[in-house]
Amino acid sequence: MTTENNNQDFQEQEIDLQAKQIVGLLDAHANRLSMRTLKQLENGRELAVKAHVQQISGLSINRDSTLSNLSAWAEHHRMVSAGLVLGVIIAGFVLMQSLSHQQPSDAFLLSADLPPEAFVDRGFEPSLNDVHAKL
Amino acid sequence: MASSQELSDFLRDVERRAFKQTVYAVRDDHAALDIVQDAMLKLAEKYADKPAVEYPMLFQRILQNTMRDYWRRQKVRNLWTTLLSSFGAGKDGEEDHDPLDTIDVEDEGTNPATQLERSQTMKVIEKALEKLPARQREAFVLRYWEDMDVAETAEMMGCSQGSVKTHCSRAVHTLATLLEKQGLGSRALPQLGAES
Repeated sequence: MTTENNNQDFQEQEIDLQAKQIVGLLDAHANRLSMRTLKQLENGRELAVKAHVQQISGLSINRDSTLSNLSAWAEHHRMVSAGLVLGVIIAGFVLMQSLSHQQPSDAFLLSADLPPEAFVDRGFEPSLNDVHAKL
Repeated sequence: MASSQELSDFLRDVERRAFKQTVYAVRDDHAALDIVQDAMLKLAEKYADKPAVEYPMLFQRILQNTMRDYWRRQKVRNLWTTLLSSFGAGKDGEEDHDPLDTIDVEDEGTNPATQLERSQTMKVIEKALEKLPARQREAFVLRYWEDMDVAETAEMMGCSQGSVKTHCSRAVHTLATLLEKQGLGSRALPQLGAES
């Protein structure tokens, strides 16, 4: 058992050694790129660094609160706008309800002793006023 | 969060290796450049808030995914390219030659015989790497070239540690056999500048 383990370890060490030798050559070769390739890699790196700078500046706007970046900031604005619209709708509904309570309701007409046509008659209100005046 | 200077230093450190690894995978210098540049940009844009210590793993993951995306697109393009190329076969390679492409930097002062031998060895290794199955190449590159441990490589590749060891073992065996055939055994490699 121990001999098998030793053999396995030896094989793994041998593989590692061979791999490192190959990688050593690959590394040396990777450092011998053409000027054009190096220039293009440098351009790519500079573009990436510029993008990183932009990302960092976006991140640092509101770091002390729940807003962690520009997209969160925009999202925050959207939520505030939606909240405002919802508030206006609720306020309008409540206002309408309160106004409707101030006007004579259908319930009043239906519960009166007089027929509903009496309230539509033009002479009904003057005659009612006359009755009130006499009393 | 990593600073822009840390990102720049990291990219400067890995860009050449990343380029060569991509060339071995996609076998096209121009496509490899695009892929590496794309990976750099994605790392900067999507992981700006990550610390610099996480960059090696993240960058490798992005690079491997970008290569896979490239292969997927290539499958579709190849169909059309095959159809179109049958209408007119041009000699594109000769027209695109640029002297700048052949100028090497960091040319060490070794003697011409060693340089020639090294160049031939590299051709053998490069050919062998290109011919390796994709998973074996990926395992070899991550485990040995990127110096990740077995667990990290397994996580990156989405497989078990045993699979990583198997892929690596087969890849190294294939490469070593090819080098032996060329008369470049493990004793000859250190003489050509290979570290051990």
